[in-house]
Amino acid sequence: MTNPFEDPEGTYSVLVNDEGQHSLWPSFAEVPAGWTVAKAEDTRAACVEYIEANWTDMRPRSLVRAMGD
Amino acid sequence: MTEQHAVRPQGAPPKKQSQLEDVLPLSPLQQGLFFHALYDDAGQDVYTAQLVFDLDGPLDAAALRAAAATLLRRHANLRSGFRQRKEGTPVQVVHRQVRLPWTETDLSALPEAERAAEAAAIADRERATPFDMAKPPLLRFVLIKLGDDRHRMVFTNHHILLDGWSTPILQTELFALYLTRGDDTGMPRVTPYKNYLAWVARQDRAAAEDAWRHALDGVDEPTFIAPAPSSSTGEPGRVRLVLDEDLTAALNARARAHGVTLNTVLQLAWGTLLGRLTGRTDVVFGAAVSGRPPELPGVEQMIGLFINTLPVRVRARPADTVAQALARLQGEQADLMVHHHLGLTDIQRLTGVGTLFDTMTVLENYPFDPDAAAADLGGLTIRPHDGYDATHYPLALAAVPGKGLSLRLDHRTDVYSADDAERLVGRLVRVLEHIAYHPDLPLARVDVLDDAERALVLDTWQGPVTGRAGRPPATITERFAAHVAATPDAVAIRADGASITYAELDARADRLAHFLAARGVGPETRVATLLDRSADVVVATLAIVKAGGVYAPIHLSYPPDRVEWAVNEVKAPVLLVDPTTAAQVEGLNTAADVIVLDGDVEAPADAPSGPPPVTVHPDQVAYVLFTSGSTGLPKGVMVRHRDVVDLADDAAMRNGAHDRVLMHSPHAFDASTYEIWMPLLHGGTLVVAPPGRLDAAGLERVVTAEDVTGLFITTTLFNLVAEERPQAFAHLKEVLTGGEAGSVAAMRKVLAACPDTGVGNVYGPTECTTYTTILGMRAPLADGETQPVLGSPIDDMRVYLLDENLRAVPPGVTGEAYIAGAGMGRGYLDRPVLTAERFVADPFGKPGDRMYRTGDLLRWRHDGTLEYVDRADFQVKIRGFRIELGEIEAALADHPAVANAAVIVREDSPGVKRLAAYVVPAADYDAAALRRHLAGRLPEYMVPAAFVRLDTLPTGPTGKLDRRALPAPDFEEAALGRAPATAEEELLCGLFAQVLGLERVGADVSFFDLGGDSITALKLVTQARQHGVEFTPRDVFTRQTVEGLTRLGDVPASAGFEVLLPIRAAGTRPPLFFVHPAGGLAWPYFQFQRHLGPDQPIYGLQARAFTQDELPGSVAEMAADYLALIRTVQPHGPYHLAGWSLGGLVAYEMATRLQADGEEVALLAMIDSYNSLDLDSEKREVLPELLLGIGVDATMLDPDGNPDMEQIMGVLAERGDALATLDENDLVNVYRNYENGVRQAEEYRPGPFRGDVVFFTALQGRTPDTPTARANWGGLVDGGIEDYPLDVEHHHLMEPAAVAEMGAVLAARLDKLRSARR
Repeated sequence: MTNPFEDPEGTYSVLVNDEGQHSLWPSFAEVPAGWTVAKAEDTRAACVEYIEANWTDMRPRSLVRAMGD
Repeated sequence: MTEQHAVRPQGAPPKKQSQLEDVLPLSPLQQGLFFHALYDDAGQDVYTAQLVFDLDGPLDAAALRAAAATLLRRHANLRSGFRQRKEGTPVQVVHRQVRLPWTETDLSALPEAERAAEAAAIADRERATPFDMAKPPLLRFVLIKLGDDRHRMVFTNHHILLDGWSTPILQTELFALYLTRGDDTGMPRVTPYKNYLAWVARQDRAAAEDAWRHALDGVDEPTFIAPAPSSSTGEPGRVRLVLDEDLTAALNARARAHGVTLNTVLQLAWGTLLGRLTGRTDVVFGAAVSGRPPELPGVEQMIGLFINTLPVRVRARPADTVAQALARLQGEQADLMVHHHLGLTDIQRLTGVGTLFDTMTVLENYPFDPDAAAADLGGLTIRPHDGYDATHYPLALAAVPGKGLSLRLDHRTDVYSADDAERLVGRLVRVLEHIAYHPDLPLARVDVLDDAERALVLDTWQGPVTGRAGRPPATITERFAAHVAATPDAVAIRADGASITYAELDARADRLAHFLAARGVGPETRVATLLDRSADVVVATLAIVKAGGVYAPIHLSYPPDRVEWAVNEVKAPVLLVDPTTAAQVEGLNTAADVIVLDGDVEAPADAPSGPPPVTVHPDQVAYVLFTSGSTGLPKGVMVRHRDVVDLADDAAMRNGAHDRVLMHSPHAFDASTYEIWMPLLHGGTLVVAPPGRLDAAGLERVVTAEDVTGLFITTTLFNLVAEERPQAFAHLKEVLTGGEAGSVAAMRKVLAACPDTGVGNVYGPTECTTYTTILGMRAPLADGETQPVLGSPIDDMRVYLLDENLRAVPPGVTGEAYIAGAGMGRGYLDRPVLTAERFVADPFGKPGDRMYRTGDLLRWRHDGTLEYVDRADFQVKIRGFRIELGEIEAALADHPAVANAAVIVREDSPGVKRLAAYVVPAADYDAAALRRHLAGRLPEYMVPAAFVRLDTLPTGPTGKLDRRALPAPDFEEAALGRAPATAEEELLCGLFAQVLGLERVGADVSFFDLGGDSITALKLVTQARQHGVEFTPRDVFTRQTVEGLTRLGDVPASAGFEVLLPIRAAGTRPPLFFVHPAGGLAWPYFQFQRHLGPDQPIYGLQARAFTQDELPGSVAEMAADYLALIRTVQPHGPYHLAGWSLGGLVAYEMATRLQADGEEVALLAMIDSYNSLDLDSEKREVLPELLLGIGVDATMLDPDGNPDMEQIMGVLAERGDALATLDENDLVNVYRNYENGVRQAEEYRPGPFRGDVVFFTALQGRTPDTPTARANWGGLVDGGIEDYPLDVEHHHLMEPAAVAEMGAVLAARLDKLRSARR
């Protein structure tokens, strides 16, 4: 079966949670609670590009705060 | 009470006229039903239909009877009987007159309760009484009097006469005739059924075939929901539901709004549901269509069989909205409308898949108005009471339109319980609701689970919730510190016979931590390590986390440039090595300080006591482990402090076994998490295994000497130890094993040898901190478990099994595993994209949670335990075989000439899937050598058809192989084997190619692997003779390849007549033995080679008659003789036995004898073999029959049917038959054997066999006396009898097409046995 995250023809969005963690997300599925759409429906490639450009610190925000950066 | 009336058509001429009115062909569907009727077990015919209705009010029974009689007179096709012509073609014979089967029964005298029961019993009996296909009419009327003015009509018929669409027409006409007491003057003329048959004959078959081929293009596997397709087992269960009027109205409105029919809506719903039950988005099921061609005048008033079952393909992509999916489905269906006349069997043949589906739907929108039918019947009203229309599909959905759409789900009770069926109807309703009310939402949003099931799979079956989620998480460092404080003198490490206490370890780690801190190691700083197994590894690991840093162990097997890459990848300021690994990093181009750990490292002079003053946060990363994935560069998995602590706190780790743990795995493997931190965070002891590779004996020594209680070992090593020295684990409390699919046999062996040791089967990706599920196997295996079952998630962990729609799959359905909850690491180091693709939003957890997508396919069992199924990626199917491309790639990479390889499936011409291998060579290579290399390791279907040489494999942006960038290979160019080396080989290769119709043929490829059979073998001999090369067809059978034929040398006269004939001796699997049929020769079995794959040895057993005069006395004698022979090549089981005709009986006898000896018989296949039949051996004319079996009509040669040998030889030679290669003596031997064999088959009385039997039934030429496999063998065999019907005559079973079908079945079966054993 084709995984819903691996469909080159599919459309996706990019979700972000309160910790700043990013998730690729197939646009057919509901957005789960606690996540907001950071990049609206687009091609997979565009979403990948968005993640690459915007998720630069992979530490959760609460940890960044705790570590005092 | 019974009266039977002769019915004679009005105006029929006097008696002299023939009883036969007409002889007609069968419609395609009638043919299907006819074969079923002949072939299915006698007794209840699943194609018996019944219509029951109550008649309230004054009834004139005589008038009704007259009406029934007229009905039979008007509709000629109701007077048809069905027979086979001598040569096998079925025909329907319309009788001019038939007796009206009319019975009247009066139950009015019985008490009310008994009356109802007796009326029901009458209907049951009617249904259970079979029809004789040859004796019309195939219908019966029973009129039951229940009381004054209360009657019930039970009308029973064979489905071959009329379909469901016809019954209301029949009913209407019956009561119209009732009003006229059977006078049909003034009634419209009946359109004869033969007009329909003529219409069928006029249709453009080629165009229909094209349309269906197109519609099913790309369907390469059937959509089955039942575990095994098998024939019917009696009456189906039935669940009914009437949808409420709102939903019905909404569905009708939906259909109207999108310009589709209600049928399309139902089909989309069924297709969607099927997708959810099979885990697929491209499914096929059957749909009944009325089959009444609109262009045939009067067709709508005809009574007869028109209905057809046709495949419906539904491709429901997750993102499609209801509206989109409906439009596409309707469009596809419309294109096929004019091609509904093609029979299902023909359509299925076009796809090459065979049976396409095992579920079906029907919308019963009969053109019938119940109110109109009851117009004015003199106060009589008709009330439908019951109907019965059998099905042999595991699931069949019928829908009847109305104010509330009524649904009926017929289900085979051996596959679905009544509860299951109820649940399915519930799922269907949820799909229908979605379609009705959410047309613009994607189909992915449909949830087929009910609340209870969702609670089971998402909640109840998940890991225990410990409540620690509410407490603040902890760090490795604080947990360790607590043990140092509590038990400073306890032994933390045992290495080289010496002990290190907690206090000592703490002090050493602190010193190194300060040293590291002075070199810039602080919170989240990565420190690379390249360390061999020693106590220092533990000190270094602890020191790094004490400094706030992250340990990043590098695989010892990495070549220097990969080490360099890894150090730079983690941006480590420090690389720790030890004296043994130091040499590996000499000359390394890196900015990191390379520190050799040789004894104590000095802390800076001003360092305070205790650890460096950094705060370590539980969410900080503790380590980075590189996992190789399948392609490209490794990725670093980041695991946090809290994840490690959570694992150490897990109940499965706190059972006392994991406190004194053996460290023997490389630091860079995720087993090191278990080996280092379980003992140290439990206050226990870590035992460092002695250096070097640990073998089973060494393992046992250290475990015993050091009193180790727990260890982890990979599946491969575990299996090895289990084989060599299962008692090696006996001292342990528990051994954990995992990494691959485990072997139940190995586990049993260890458990038996180690009565006090638990075996824990573990599963989990590195990304989720090593273990996600742990299951002690002793209890399950004692309960008869046969699979390495995974059990349930451990504390606070959750495993979701989701389909392509990201919906949880129901129990029993395979889904991809997503892991959430405790232990889920942070992601991949510096790989935000890869992390966002794999660590994704969790729709089932707390707000903002993530879940990790594993790529593993798992399934929930109904008891709530998880079962591993497969990998989701790089898995393909060719010819129905499931193939792991990685397995082929790995086997290719084993060849010294291969540096890198990729294998993909190509479909360059539609419908033709072939494997192509792309090879980056390390040295010069020959494609034929690679092919041979693979053929020796893999089944035939896994050997690529083409090998393409590339300088480098193309990669995509993420560093993974870009499969789409691989060039299309030239399959024709693909060398089939080794090129000819000599002029003679070249000549023969050319001749092989010519007779086989191939471009070219290699010198080392078997003639029979390429499709050769006995006829082509003879052609080859003839061609060769014309070119001056002499050999016989027998040589072709025994030598098989060009290479073999050119090295003929001295062939003993008996060659080809060996009693144990090696058809293919090579191969690693247990052999398959084929026993000869009555004629005595096993040559026809040569053809099975190409279907069974190169790793499958095949032997034939042949009669001794060719080498000795005496004939065997009985089947038992033959079996004993052959058993002694097969034991010379395979001393013990599992045995695989097969045989055609008499050979099947001998194989059966061999199997029962082997079982009596305590041997395992894993496969017993009988090819149209029946025991205890009266074959009339005394009077039987054997020779003509033997000749007929090979297609020679003996009476053509000799009027008495007994031609002499010379005549026979002449005919055989002319026909190019394999038997023509026999000399006269041998032919006589075939004859002697045959005669003898027929008698022995008659006399043979088999005993019981334990296990399943694979059976092949020849459908053609069966007589009423021919039993079915189940009838003949069912009482003897305690397992299942899998019966595969073949549309050929018994004597023609070894024709290539039939062999291909049997070969596929046997290959799949042998493959399954092989994987079950692995």
